[in-house]
Amino acid sequence: MDDAIVVEGLARTFRRQTAVDHVSFRVARGRFFGFLGPNGAGKSTTIRMLTGLLRPSAGDALVEGLRLSQDLLAIKRRIGVLTEELPLYERLTGEEHLLFAARLHGLDRAEARRRAQELLEFLSLAEDRGKLVVDYSQGMRKKLALACALVHGPSLLFLDEPLNGIDPVSGRIVSDLLRRLTARGVTIFFTSHGLDVVERLCDEVAVIDRGRIVAQGTLDEIRAERALRGDATLEDVFLKLVQADVRREDLSWIG
Amino acid sequence: MDRLSALLALRLKLQLRAALGSRPRLLALLLVLPGLAAFSLLGALLAYSLARAAEASQPQLTLPVLSAAVAMAGLGWALSPIVAGIAATETHDLGRLLHYPVPVATLVASSLVANLLQPLVLAQLPVVAALALGLAGAGVRWPIAAGGLLLSFALALSAGQAVSLALHAVSRRRRWHDRAQLAGIGLVMAFTFLPMLLLTAGAPAARHLVHALLEADAFVLVPFSWGARAAVHAARGEAAAFFGWAAAAVIAVALSVGLSTRLAQRLYRGELDLGEAAHGTRPATMPLPGALGALVEKDLRVTWRDPRLKALIFSGLIAPLLILLALYQGIGGPVPPGVVLAFASVSGLGVLDGNVFALERQGLGLLLGSPLSRLAILAAKNAGAIALRLPALLLVALAALLVAGPALVPAVVSIMLATQLLAAGLDNYVSILAPAPVPAAGRDRSAPGSSTRGLGAAAIALAAMAASLLVSAPFAFLAWLPYLLEARWLWLLTLPLALAGASAAYFMLASGAAGLLARREPELIALAAGEE
Repeated sequence: MDDAIVVEGLARTFRRQTAVDHVSFRVARGRFFGFLGPNGAGKSTTIRMLTGLLRPSAGDALVEGLRLSQDLLAIKRRIGVLTEELPLYERLTGEEHLLFAARLHGLDRAEARRRAQELLEFLSLAEDRGKLVVDYSQGMRKKLALACALVHGPSLLFLDEPLNGIDPVSGRIVSDLLRRLTARGVTIFFTSHGLDVVERLCDEVAVIDRGRIVAQGTLDEIRAERALRGDATLEDVFLKLVQADVRREDLSWIG
Repeated sequence: MDRLSALLALRLKLQLRAALGSRPRLLALLLVLPGLAAFSLLGALLAYSLARAAEASQPQLTLPVLSAAVAMAGLGWALSPIVAGIAATETHDLGRLLHYPVPVATLVASSLVANLLQPLVLAQLPVVAALALGLAGAGVRWPIAAGGLLLSFALALSAGQAVSLALHAVSRRRRWHDRAQLAGIGLVMAFTFLPMLLLTAGAPAARHLVHALLEADAFVLVPFSWGARAAVHAARGEAAAFFGWAAAAVIAVALSVGLSTRLAQRLYRGELDLGEAAHGTRPATMPLPGALGALVEKDLRVTWRDPRLKALIFSGLIAPLLILLALYQGIGGPVPPGVVLAFASVSGLGVLDGNVFALERQGLGLLLGSPLSRLAILAAKNAGAIALRLPALLLVALAALLVAGPALVPAVVSIMLATQLLAAGLDNYVSILAPAPVPAAGRDRSAPGSSTRGLGAAAIALAAMAASLLVSAPFAFLAWLPYLLEARWLWLLTLPLALAGASAAYFMLASGAAGLLARREPELIALAAGEE
């Protein structure tokens, strides 16, 4: 099976602080890949580097067979990105925004309009299509940014916390859609703090902690590698991997 | 009382942290403080001298003139949230504190009292004291007169707070919020340009108007003047009049604080529902073809819908009009063609300092995440910038027609277009290498981390202007040549040549900038977001 992403010693340092520390991993094509880690572990930094929005301090990567350091524009034609800070123009309406994103990717007007219409309906944004983005709620913004990432039909999706802040119904619709996309060969690189969602959706996970990959594989593989019980949940595995200090002491004044 | 002092301590701590936590803010504060102190002392000296002189020579004018001055100052202070975008009197974010068991009135009062300790407010106190001294002398009446003046000042502060809260309420509805913001910017422009316009075109009319207002003592109707009137009566020992005006001023302050409290209560409890933001149901239009058209359309829409950006278009119209008008008045007849052509060159520089990439704000990720060629992105952004300055171009052409005749209009338009093109080409480099971080909408522009180019801004702007004038000089000269040779028919040849040459030079500049953009995209994103 060929790889959609091959990361080779990628590192990023911000003012002497290492956010990502020479990480290497592979993501096979068509995989639903969960990239997990505590806050500040380096997930978003890795996504920003892999999508060309942040220059690595060291290392390189192959994305859809194209070298990140050499073929950035070609990579951008093939990927869809939903970053943590939603890249939206607040003074465009939802529909105008989606049409704009479609046309930036070279879709002709008729196709752009058709896809925008379908995505707005699908994500329950059709009624608010004429509203300015500045008046959208956080969940609506997230759905619109996701629609912009999907509108050109990318073969690889980078989704940073796509389900965070959207309502449960839309969350189910989006996760079903993502599942359908992977079934059609689209690779999804996905971060989330909702470990139950990751457990339900992802074929494979990698856990990053303090900028380093501490585990990668299917949940069964990680359980076996770390000698964990067969019924250990992803949350158990995650807490073990990041050596979380979950305090058990009571607060004295609560009693 | 404990709660009030805790709130005051919190405000002070936040203000200190905001100043000390950001180097540009601290530097700005250090630069501003001596100036503020000098300005305050100068103001105090001036207030004292004017009050003494008025009371000695024309005491009948003291009341109307002081009322007018205090009313205007109070209005300026109260409207500062609209006019300056930042309130001289801050209304702190009460929303974060409402879930604590503190009465709303205490929250409002703590904001008001905390404002008294701001440098800008403290700087007014010597002026108030000196004015009272000028009116009443050093005797026992001085503190009473000062008290009257302080009532006017307190009203200005509390009115500023009420205006801030009212703006906050209005911001619940996008259209009203945008209109209020545009109106505020319009007021700033009016305050800035009206004196110049009056001086150049309407000095006698302005004099008549001021005289009529003072004679009628019209400013008595403005509550900000009531405390000052009480001060004048106190200084003259007119007890009944003092108590009357002082009582009126106290009631005005109480009403203003009461209004703020009521507004805060209704606003933060969600009782003030201004309705849903209006939105259209018609399908979005896409008049321009292709990705490049989409980019130009986006820039035009975003600019027109953002009141601050929209105001830039209008402000670009005022300066050329005023300058040409002043020239026309100064010369007393048609302006020499050489001056008009040079003016067209300078007017073309309006495209500079667009800060185009930082102004994309969060959208920059989407724009640079697209596979569009970087030259196309730059060309589209430059086309948008020039299109937005089309009204300025038309206005300069119209002004040239009026002050120098129709023969000069094609040359004026060509020179301005050539300068705009090359200024846009050069501005790309500034936008890529030194984007000024712009905080996301709704974020505090002065918060730590949202710095600007700071002191370097002036140097960058000057360098870009000089470079634009230098690069566009050969093409401006081509347009100027027929006038110098007194062979105007040559314009048929030189004007197209100038525009073609400027276009070729622009594409060379833009291609270089596109290469630079491709190499520096990640750094640009980090700079625009204020991360580096």
